[in-house]
Amino acid sequence: MLTSFKLTRRNFVRAASAGALAIGAPAILRPAMAADVLKIGVLVADSGPAALFGPAQRAAAELGAATVNAKGGILGRQVAIVFADAGASPAEVAKSAVKLMLSDKVEMIFGSHDSAVRQGVENVVKGKLPYVYTPVFEGDDCSPNVYFLGEVPEQELQKTLPKLLEFAKGKTFYLVGNDYVWARTTNEKAKKYIGEIGGKVVAEDYYPLGAPNKFENTVAKIKAEKPSVVLQTLVGGDNVNFNRTFADFNLSDDIVRLSCLLEENTLMGIGKDASKNLYSSLGYFADIDLPENKTFIGELAKKYGDKAPQQCTISKGLYDAFIFASAVAAKSKSLGAKEFAAAAEGISFETPSGPMTMTKRHTTKNIFLARCDGTKFTVIDTFSAVPTQQSCT
Amino acid sequence: MASFLVRNALILAALVLLPLFLGEFWAYQLGLYFLYGLAALGIGLTWGQVGILPLGQGMFVAIAAYLTAYGLFGFGTSPMAYLVLPAASVVVAVFGFAFAALVFRGRFEQGPSFSLMTLALTLAAFQIANGWSSVTGGFNGLRNIPGLPGLDGFLDLYHLIAVVLALSIAGVDYLVRAPIGVLWRAIADNERRLAFLGYDVALLKAAGFAVACGLAGLAGALYAPQQNLVTPDLAGFAFSGDLVIFAAVGGRATVLGPVIGALVVGVLSAELRDRFPWWEIVIALFFILVVLRLPGGLMTLFAPLRRLSLGRNAVPVPLEAPSKPRTASPLSVAFEDVRVRVGDVTILDGLSVRTGEEAVLCVIGPNGAGKTSALNVMTGVLPKRGGRIVIDGLDVLRPEPATVAGKGVARKFQTPSVFPKLTIDENLAVALWAGRWRLFDLLRPSLFGWTSPLLEEMRGRFQFLEQGGKLASALSHGERQLLELTMALITEPRLLLLDEPCAGLSHEETSAVIEAIQWARQYLNLRIIIIEHDMELVRRLADRVVVLHQGRFLADGSIEEVQHNPEVQAVYVGGSR
Amino acid sequence: METLLLTQVINVVYEVLILAIIVLGLAVVMGLLNVLNIAHGEFIMIGAYTAYVVQKSGLPYVLAVPAAAGVCGIIGLVVERFLIRPLRYEPFETLLATWGLGLLLRKLVELGFGRGYRSVEIPVVGSLNFFGEAYPTYRLVLMGVSASVLAGLFLWYRRAPTGARIRAMVGNPVLAEAVGIKTRELARNTFVTGTAMAGIAGVMIAPLTPVEPFMGLAFIVNSFFALVVGGMGTVAGLFAGAGIIGGLQSVLSATVNPTTAYLAMLFLSILFLWQRPRGLFPRP
Repeated sequence: MLTSFKLTRRNFVRAASAGALAIGAPAILRPAMAADVLKIGVLVADSGPAALFGPAQRAAAELGAATVNAKGGILGRQVAIVFADAGASPAEVAKSAVKLMLSDKVEMIFGSHDSAVRQGVENVVKGKLPYVYTPVFEGDDCSPNVYFLGEVPEQELQKTLPKLLEFAKGKTFYLVGNDYVWARTTNEKAKKYIGEIGGKVVAEDYYPLGAPNKFENTVAKIKAEKPSVVLQTLVGGDNVNFNRTFADFNLSDDIVRLSCLLEENTLMGIGKDASKNLYSSLGYFADIDLPENKTFIGELAKKYGDKAPQQCTISKGLYDAFIFASAVAAKSKSLGAKEFAAAAEGISFETPSGPMTMTKRHTTKNIFLARCDGTKFTVIDTFSAVPTQQSCT
Repeated sequence: MASFLVRNALILAALVLLPLFLGEFWAYQLGLYFLYGLAALGIGLTWGQVGILPLGQGMFVAIAAYLTAYGLFGFGTSPMAYLVLPAASVVVAVFGFAFAALVFRGRFEQGPSFSLMTLALTLAAFQIANGWSSVTGGFNGLRNIPGLPGLDGFLDLYHLIAVVLALSIAGVDYLVRAPIGVLWRAIADNERRLAFLGYDVALLKAAGFAVACGLAGLAGALYAPQQNLVTPDLAGFAFSGDLVIFAAVGGRATVLGPVIGALVVGVLSAELRDRFPWWEIVIALFFILVVLRLPGGLMTLFAPLRRLSLGRNAVPVPLEAPSKPRTASPLSVAFEDVRVRVGDVTILDGLSVRTGEEAVLCVIGPNGAGKTSALNVMTGVLPKRGGRIVIDGLDVLRPEPATVAGKGVARKFQTPSVFPKLTIDENLAVALWAGRWRLFDLLRPSLFGWTSPLLEEMRGRFQFLEQGGKLASALSHGERQLLELTMALITEPRLLLLDEPCAGLSHEETSAVIEAIQWARQYLNLRIIIIEHDMELVRRLADRVVVLHQGRFLADGSIEEVQHNPEVQAVYVGGSR
Repeated sequence: METLLLTQVINVVYEVLILAIIVLGLAVVMGLLNVLNIAHGEFIMIGAYTAYVVQKSGLPYVLAVPAAAGVCGIIGLVVERFLIRPLRYEPFETLLATWGLGLLLRKLVELGFGRGYRSVEIPVVGSLNFFGEAYPTYRLVLMGVSASVLAGLFLWYRRAPTGARIRAMVGNPVLAEAVGIKTRELARNTFVTGTAMAGIAGVMIAPLTPVEPFMGLAFIVNSFFALVVGGMGTVAGLFAGAGIIGGLQSVLSATVNPTTAYLAMLFLSILFLWQRPRGLFPRP
């Protein structure tokens, strides 16, 4: 009978749709397969102000999953990602997290988004699953079964500030930031470290978040005050706007700028004509000269070719989350809250930015001080294993 | 009443039973969208009924949510925690009422500027919530808010939210069908007319806005225990904008529309968001399509169904309206050296004139003499720059339409001013209720049955008034003149101001109007001031004629006297036009 | 500190003039046609992207001005035909429609250019000495352009027959049609002019701000408030609105702090909207 089967066009379409049905089949076959695949919910910014990180976040997470799977997965199970949009309001993202848990039956959640959203997600996850939060943030969160991979202000500043003074003409600081908790917390910590190195804060300016800000007034004040360093905790468009205005008023030659959240995308916006004597302190730059990073960027280039989205510390953290989770699970042999938390304490793992160690649920890691050269970062100093000084039990 | 109960019982049952079919995640998701729907329900009320678009309802949601958070922190697991929810709602409703009453006081048609004020308020609220970390928790919000005592899991809270939403829908459904609902729609239709009937329009508008704020407050109060977290983004413009979008997509003119809109847009966004990176393009196109093709929102699609299932409300039982407390004597008016200027133009230039013993006073004069302006300044439409206006022996310093109407002055405008989007019956009812309703009456459907001997008399004289269900916009110009005259008369005024009452009327209609006026002056013992160009009419009606010229008093007397007055003749070059 | 004071004074003037030029397109569309174009910021954004493309292709920056006017004008033409006209220029209906339009334009630009920041290099570099105080040349150029555009507009609107026709159409469309003014064409041209002006504003500010799909949202709030505070449909209103909103924010931002300045701007707007709902210099 097989000979009578002719692949006419109509038959082909039918066969193809049968195939499509088979691809769609996991929904039906799920109970049988569920035990094999370990699903991880990954919260990335597909919409909202942080959406520029979305493609890079997805790429980093997918590479993380592929890397872990190539080594046999987590707990001997292959890992599958279920993405959800974290660019909406805390309530909407919390709802997505509920869906991940109840409908998709994910067993872990990784997320790269702001802290308000994190608290929304924490409220629905309630410590039932391991939740790995990856971006730069202000610290001071000890919710159960939540693990923080991102840089906290102490890490960004403690060792970086003394080093920065080598390039500055004095020890006076002008602080400018957005008017919200991350910037204010970072600046509180900054004042402590500035005091320790005998520096002085001459003024602080805070700009409303999400408002149509213009920075001519602050730049004029900076021009009059002549501080040696401007420490910035501005985010997104305000960061670009301030630095362009600053350079436009011809201040970049004499005053050194350090931004606490300046990654590759923002630097592109600031542009080469405005980045002179601008520095950034973060736990990762896409250009750092480490073999692990070369592999990471190389793999992404292999996978995505020219279209590989620009990596930065905000996106790369999601790759780390997979490495971290697989290392912990190898030790805990379980994803149970108690076992996972116990195994996580003190665990070390290798990432594109070097080794990290989970200490009291925050991550001791390398911190890099980079100078902007045009629209590229040049790492000028690396501080190894900088502690977070956070203490969650 | 029966259909009202059936309808709302069905909605309640549907909402409560829904999660049985959909599971726990949907219970959580729908619970959240119901809260959005609750806030959007209020927008539907103010925007679709009262005609005011609030752009900052998120602020009221946010304030109630923060208040509830503190309430729940305070009461913990005590059952008293449940009192926090209505309390928070009432607090924001009172705040909304006070704000709106203040803003609307003494001003008309302030729609767009009010919308922008609410927008500015919510933008400010966002910044304050963001910056005031010690109280609001700043950007990251207030966290670990306890749930409501006795409610565990998503399903329990879902049921509470569903019941609150169903009751709120029923409440709004009741309100828009109650007399106050008619008054709200009358405001959207013709605010000034309502004021000239003696209603305090500012208070009515503020009441509508307060209900909307109360609903937003309920949403916020339930949001706090549902999310266990309150962040400033509730007060952000994006959220307030979304609420408006829900109302627009669902159908702002209907009760259920905004809730449907919240569900449809919410579920559509949620389903698309995780599947399709460019989902916002789909949402944008969908929204533009709705605005262009379904200006009444998605509920337009259900309109045939609604007509089928609900029908009209039952015919109310006729009931004698309470009589109006009135002094059965004509009202006197005196202008003393009244001056009015608009820009550089002098409108009234020291006008002095007073009513005397006559019942019908006709005011004549060439165009631009200040006839209509005199009525306008007396009823508070135009501000006076000098002089005194004495009504009923009292010097009225700043006349306002509603207060002047309250003294017993009714006014009929030159171009008929009725409520075009209301039916004839509703137009008449609004006029009849004026000055007769007492507190809470506006919630009683029995008011629709009110009638009065005067109204019955008019219905006998003007046959078209019997077609009560017809929209006023469907009436001819002449019929609208007669409708407005009837509305003015059934308020049983002591002074009736008529501005060319027979303009555009047929010969028969003119006679009918004259007869009606003659009859009413006997029946009501009132004074009538008529502005008129038609000398024939003046001859038939006037007891006394006053001639104005260039904003000043020129002459008065009987029709013959003024016609033979050389000064008057000089003004009317070419005879008695 | 005297130099600081001088710089701050120039900053205030600069902020007022920049706001005026940003508001201008909206003032035309909203002030004259009563179209509440909430996608105004997106037209500015598209103008800025046009400037980016022109600069990237190595063309002189001034060419971005006609290019942006053309691109935004054509989009404006399409929008007028398929969105604004079918809605009969109704204020609230167009508010809703342009809300959807704004979202659509943002996402389409994102589709074409990605979400990342683009930077447009400053076409006129360096500083000029201004009473002994160095101020960036490009900003001084912008102030000059803005001031002359507004002055020219003021004269044109007073004197030119088109200005009179627009005023007639706005005052009484039926009568205007009756005396032979082609109101449909006039309304369309006015709308397109407004969107083209927004595009040109985008070219002017592109070198100063991050160019990204969501940049337009930052402009819309201040523009709306400046318009309603100043009064719609008059050049004096445009000046007054930009002066009060931009000036107050700049002065308070320099003397108190930026958050307070922003809040003060919002509360002042509320006060004006309440007491002068038609603005300081409304259309008569």
